[in-house]
Amino acid sequence: MRSHLFNFSIAAMIVMLPLAANGDFEPVNPIEWNQAKARHLLERAGFGARPDEIAEFAAMTPREAVRRLVYFEGAPEADLPEFDHSGVFEEGLDPFPPSRPATTELARRQGYALGVEVKPGGDRPLQPVVNKFFYWLRASRLETDRVAYWWADRMLRSPRPLEEKMALFWHGHFATNENKVRDYRKMLGQLHLFQQKGLGDFRELLVGVAQDPAMLNFLDAGVNTKDSPNENFAREIMELFTMGVGHYGESDVREAARAFTGWNYEGLEFQVVTDDHDFGVKRVLGREGDFDGVEVIDIILEQDATADFIARKIYNYFVSAELDDDSARELGAWLKNSNYDIAAYMERLFLSRDFYRPEVIGSRIKGPVEYVVSTYRLLDLDSIPGTPDFNRVTGSLGQRLMRPPTVAGWSEGRAWITPSLLFERGNFVLDVVFPDIGFLPPDRHPGYGGEEILSVHERLRRGMDISSATLPSMVAEEAPDMNELSASNMLADSDEAFNTRYGSYRGWQMAIERVKPISRNLPRLDLAGMVAEAGLASPDEVVEYLTSRFFSVPPEPATMLAMADYLEAELGTADIASAASFMEESLRGLLHVLLSRPEYQLN
Amino acid sequence: MVRKPFSGQKISRRGLLAGGLTTVSALAAAPLFSPRAWAQAGRDQRILVSVELSGGNDGLNTVVPHGDDAYYRHRPTIGIRPDAVRKLDGHFGLNPGMLGFERLWNSDDLAIIHGCGYERPSYSHFTSMAYWHTAAPNRGDEFGWLGRLADALDDASGADVLINIASAQSLAVKSRLHTPVVFDNPDRFQRRAFASQQPLMQRVDEAGGNPSRAFLNDVARSALTASARIRDAWANYRTPVDYGLNGLDLPKVAACIEAGLPARIYHVSYRNNAFDTHVQQVNLHQRILAYTADAINGFIRDLERIGQADRVLVLVYSEFGRRVPENANLGTDHGSANTMFLAGKPVIPGHYGTPPSLTSLVDGDNLQHTVDFRQVYATAVDRWMQPGASESVLKGRFEPIEALS
Repeated sequence: MRSHLFNFSIAAMIVMLPLAANGDFEPVNPIEWNQAKARHLLERAGFGARPDEIAEFAAMTPREAVRRLVYFEGAPEADLPEFDHSGVFEEGLDPFPPSRPATTELARRQGYALGVEVKPGGDRPLQPVVNKFFYWLRASRLETDRVAYWWADRMLRSPRPLEEKMALFWHGHFATNENKVRDYRKMLGQLHLFQQKGLGDFRELLVGVAQDPAMLNFLDAGVNTKDSPNENFAREIMELFTMGVGHYGESDVREAARAFTGWNYEGLEFQVVTDDHDFGVKRVLGREGDFDGVEVIDIILEQDATADFIARKIYNYFVSAELDDDSARELGAWLKNSNYDIAAYMERLFLSRDFYRPEVIGSRIKGPVEYVVSTYRLLDLDSIPGTPDFNRVTGSLGQRLMRPPTVAGWSEGRAWITPSLLFERGNFVLDVVFPDIGFLPPDRHPGYGGEEILSVHERLRRGMDISSATLPSMVAEEAPDMNELSASNMLADSDEAFNTRYGSYRGWQMAIERVKPISRNLPRLDLAGMVAEAGLASPDEVVEYLTSRFFSVPPEPATMLAMADYLEAELGTADIASAASFMEESLRGLLHVLLSRPEYQLN
Repeated sequence: MVRKPFSGQKISRRGLLAGGLTTVSALAAAPLFSPRAWAQAGRDQRILVSVELSGGNDGLNTVVPHGDDAYYRHRPTIGIRPDAVRKLDGHFGLNPGMLGFERLWNSDDLAIIHGCGYERPSYSHFTSMAYWHTAAPNRGDEFGWLGRLADALDDASGADVLINIASAQSLAVKSRLHTPVVFDNPDRFQRRAFASQQPLMQRVDEAGGNPSRAFLNDVARSALTASARIRDAWANYRTPVDYGLNGLDLPKVAACIEAGLPARIYHVSYRNNAFDTHVQQVNLHQRILAYTADAINGFIRDLERIGQADRVLVLVYSEFGRRVPENANLGTDHGSANTMFLAGKPVIPGHYGTPPSLTSLVDGDNLQHTVDFRQVYATAVDRWMQPGASESVLKGRFEPIEALS
């Protein structure tokens, strides 16, 4: 039986031998189609490849398999619920001022803000306005976390996994962050755009993004007016969304910014404020005319650099981080000739011999969202568990949905892994196989970084007045030497008209009353059932089965043997059948060490 | 981590595996470092702490030229009035939020270097930041300048020389010879596992062929050795010093230094493009500058408390400054030349470099740089970390400034 294990890894090593040439985009030969290739396709185009799916796709022709994923041909109908809004939004919250000071200034000036009137007298007349400000900050943030849960659930369950994976790709490409947008409705609208257009015409997608309220907000388009063009959006559309640095000049940025002047939104609708639009002649990328934003986008799409850039970025994400310039140009030309048809491009990539090169298979480091969702899928779960919290887990691994770090999105590949993050990935598995009984739901309890809110809460309920209760803990509980105290802690951050710390506290309370709770169901595993169903007789077979189920790149045989030894020691027997009634816990321990391996990060 | 210590003792566990399939259990191999040796090394050697202000800090509203009328002409709304700045002298003053830097200035621990930039500046965050990270403007490099500095250090083999506190590794610390120790939350820098699982958790395969796999194995080895020390350092660290509301990860650096870790180079960042103040910048910018100044001042005071301040130089930079005239949204757009800072006991306090003219602007209302930022890097290399190494580290000759003796 040990030689059995040994053979498994030798087979894996043979697959590593170079067979096909880099840059060969001709379709793979149907005769070469097999389980390994079907698995590779499913891993890259979706979120983990389960044994039943691998068998199903291996039985198709490569073309059928690819078209199932890209065009959903023959895919079962999706039966996925729409996002279930909690109902946190109210008229008056939109437009939401850019900051708390802007809100209180507005309230002072007009007597109300955010749909709340200033109190006619008494203590802290602006306090209700400030409370409302913090209410929406918190409610939108928590509701966005629910949007992320909804999306992750689709990644797990959708019969169209590439639709969601493509949306994830575009979310990193056209990155916006709820921290700045501060409106979950805009984030959800943008996600719908990625889901609906992500496999369509890139021009439609790009125009859609350029006119998307989340993006317009994120890149300050709302303040881009003819008297004062704001270059943020024009720069990023060229640098990050289409051509890349080196294919345009600073004057192109300034001129393009003029074409986008007046682009704005009202509520969730795009609109052009014609009074703000510069109708004059612009010179962009060698062309001259009284362009508007869409015309500038079309000029950008005419550039070979745009097609090369998009073709390369998609290739780097789905195929390999390495792509020589000749191949990039070949792919770019092809994408442009197909009028930027993303689905056709994906079909070509996934069918190409290049995609199935041995050096490509098992060379990609899974991003955190993919890592977590695919782990759940391979465990046969039918929904994303509420415990551990999906957003906190993926956030601690470096990829929180709706919160990419900058407009450049996430750095893929090796950037996902640091010594600390490698540990975090294994620690996530531990929380999946053995529940963390210290878990606090972050959509109810401000226990994660919200300690100040908790201490305000405690002090108020002990009868302290608002001013005393809201002093920073350091100031409230010690008698600090003012010469040593930092400026930021010295700021009382309040005045007679309102108290921001109290507002933050009340905002939390008001938000959790309204935002629907995330169901905190735990992953319910049945590894013993999985082992029994597979008819595994020995620890070696268990390790081999789990490795082949979960790993694209198996660990070394010696390591697998050590795993088997561990399982045998834990069970007190090498006879799996006799251990059936008590082996669940040991299997979970085994799965934890197994999925903590460096090789598990690869697909 | 240097890879060498791990390539030693290979374990072939079973006869049938003798065909070259080997595994190394990293901790079962010989100890990677002698605690006494690294503690000793850790106590004597000089340390560089690089602090990045990401997003393009508005240098003109950081060190405010309140004596220059042109400043107020360019910034009629967001310009900081003379009565509001923390005056350093008749011409310059600090942003009102920067009490921390005022204290550093008053204790002779701050050098301000004006007009830092480079030829043909990029106005892209990501491109310009890559230039600062690699010290290779308009060219780029595979490795970061701090990584190359680590490679050039004497007596830096076999130890965790580079520590980057971040959620993802910075290009600045990418090194040919060292695997940087990258972590964010030291409390979480721990492999959680039961006792019976521990030996298996410490197995790292020696696998060739797949470069991604080799990379993961390198990181896994680095994690094994560094995590316990860093976690212990953080667990044992208590400070009475007030770092303000955002310590910029500098308390973690202080904890590592106090524990005698052998790291020579630390890199931290005010993250996520925080300084990209296109819109309504005044309150926001003042607040994040307050956090920054509080944190750096707190750090220097904390180092004094633990008797380590003489060993540590802090270098503060951003990928670019901002446009001189304010925009119509009470903010500023991407610019070029900017102010850098050196802070700590080793510095000779004062102003360095030539402040760029506010009346002869270049390239669309931008400042003309007067100091190549690599001169400041060269100062940190030649006058502090490794005398004579700047030319090889920076791939060119750059005249140090006189802010260090």
